Amino acid sequence: MRILKNLGQALRGLQLNKANTFLMTLGIMIGIASLTVIVAIGEGTKSKVLNRIANMGFGPESFSVYSGAGRLFFGRNRNTTSMTLQDVDDIRAMPGVAIVVPRQRKRMRIINKKEFTTTRVYGVSPEWQPARQWEVVDGEFFNDTDMDRKRKVIVLGNTPAHKIFGEMDPLGKKIRVGQVFFEVIGLLETKGLTESGYDPDDRALIPLTTSMSRLFRQTHLHSIKVVSTNSEAVGQTMEGVTQVLRRNHGLSPLADDDFRFVTPEGIMQWVTESEQALNRMLLLISTVSLLVGGVVIMNILLVSIRERIREIGVRRCFGARRGDITQQFLFESVLVSLLGGAMGSSLGWVLSSSLNHFDLLPAKITWDPFVLAFGFSMIVGLIFGIHPARKAARLSPDETIR
Amino acid sequence: MKISKVIEIDSIIKTYKNEGFETNVLKGISISIGEGDYVSVIGPSGSGKSTLMTILGCLSQATSGTYLLDGEEVGKLRDSELSRIRNEKIGFVFQAFHLLPGVSAFDNVMMPLIYCNKTPADAKERVKQVLIRVGLEHRMAHTPGQLSGGEQQRVTIARSLINNPKIILADEPTGNLDSKNGAEIMSAFDHLNAEGRTIIIITHNPIVSEHARRILTLRDGQIVSDEINENFKESRAGIARAAVK
Repeated sequence: MRILKNLGQALRGLQLNKANTFLMTLGIMIGIASLTVIVAIGEGTKSKVLNRIANMGFGPESFSVYSGAGRLFFGRNRNTTSMTLQDVDDIRAMPGVAIVVPRQRKRMRIINKKEFTTTRVYGVSPEWQPARQWEVVDGEFFNDTDMDRKRKVIVLGNTPAHKIFGEMDPLGKKIRVGQVFFEVIGLLETKGLTESGYDPDDRALIPLTTSMSRLFRQTHLHSIKVVSTNSEAVGQTMEGVTQVLRRNHGLSPLADDDFRFVTPEGIMQWVTESEQALNRMLLLISTVSLLVGGVVIMNILLVSIRERIREIGVRRCFGARRGDITQQFLFESVLVSLLGGAMGSSLGWVLSSSLNHFDLLPAKITWDPFVLAFGFSMIVGLIFGIHPARKAARLSPDETIR
Repeated sequence: MKISKVIEIDSIIKTYKNEGFETNVLKGISISIGEGDYVSVIGPSGSGKSTLMTILGCLSQATSGTYLLDGEEVGKLRDSELSRIRNEKIGFVFQAFHLLPGVSAFDNVMMPLIYCNKTPADAKERVKQVLIRVGLEHRMAHTPGQLSGGEQQRVTIARSLINNPKIILADEPTGNLDSKNGAEIMSAFDHLNAEGRTIIIITHNPIVSEHARRILTLRDGQIVSDEINENFKESRAGIARAAVK
């Protein structure tokens, strides 16, 4: 096979001109490395978000509705007080709704003797536990009786428990939250930091009735978590919730919602959007460096053709056709580009792994960037190799051996 | 003795156009060269020797005139056809060797076989044989940089022989060699001719041209003399003596 022989000559050509070969690979290497890192970060972010959503106890059949207009966790107005237990009752009465958990929330200082820390204190109903599916590893969660009697009991996440009790057993101990004393009756299972650094264990839970009347002293809610009976009905349920809340809050048809939904899809979309700007930037960089890499290959090949004009001439004298010379140099540029791609992929792999290892950015290594790298470097090699290759082939044999 | 013609050129004219100026390098040259002939082409620089060689070697085509190589009209062939003819019928030996740098003697000799339409099955054996013939069997793995000038030129002779060509075209084959190595190379040509190869040597060195049976003198793009070399037998006798020693 003539084409295979030309491929062999191309390989040998690259081998003999190692310095040029190395220089030619550089641009492609950088381009492909950044491409690999971009894709890895993209994948990593996606899986981080999915993880985070899972950690938040969001299944596909659940969502939360937060008080105040805005988007996701960013309320535009912190003083909205329109969400009440009436809303909770009305949502609970809707068809297709399995669990409804009303929530109040405040960051507060919790104190055990001289040790203290600040944590998120939630006032919730006992359904919180089945809705979140979060185990209590020691003691127990508060029940309906605790709710009814507005007992001053508290369930601690691992982070605040560890901070104020150290190695001691917190169960049965009294701690002070703000000015009110609570008895620790349970400890939540440790979830551990998410990849983004969010600490789900940094929380404390008290009965909603207690928080309303004894601690926060407010009747309006921070948010309501809703679990539907099945995931297909979520959209419909959300529409129903919207109607109930707008009616209960007395909003005119022209007024904006004074509440906002937090759904797994919503979070996903938000994260995707905010990562997109960065990704576009990086994609631009990698495209530019691939183009620059291609131009570098083209220029070095053009120079190398001048250096190797005798070689081309001799090959032509002994029977190489124009097509053979074109093939040889095109193979050289494609091979060099693929080599750069392989080096870039490896470099990208190392970079992505380090980003991940040192917790700088979430990165997840998948096969896609390697397939992309192969395709891109092949294309770059072809596009930027064709001009030098044809130029080499067009040299007339009698002039090249003078 | 009637010998068949390998090369027959008739009224070859070669004109180069350069920035509007036309230069007539060859002004109507007709030669016929028989099989097994040993021809040297001499003439001062600028006389058109090299241009004649590029035309004889099918590296360029004449502006007008006809060129029959081994009975085939090559004047109007396409580039890829010319490549095939160079591959099959012509073996080149250059003044500056023009070996592929960094590539072993063996692979350098192998190179023309890459461009055959069908690489012979015994390619490696053939390469070995021609390298043995030029006395380089112990240097096959050496690259040009590791070989002396004389050895490099012997590699190029081996390379020119690998496809068993109709003619061997040598352009100043001793130009880059000292006289001892030059003499060795010329005796190699003498031996090849003695075996029946057609050899054309382009040179301006009278010592080299004296080896040929026939000497063509070129001046200003025309052949001014075409004579049988009186000293031919004597030089052959010299080789015979050298061989005996």
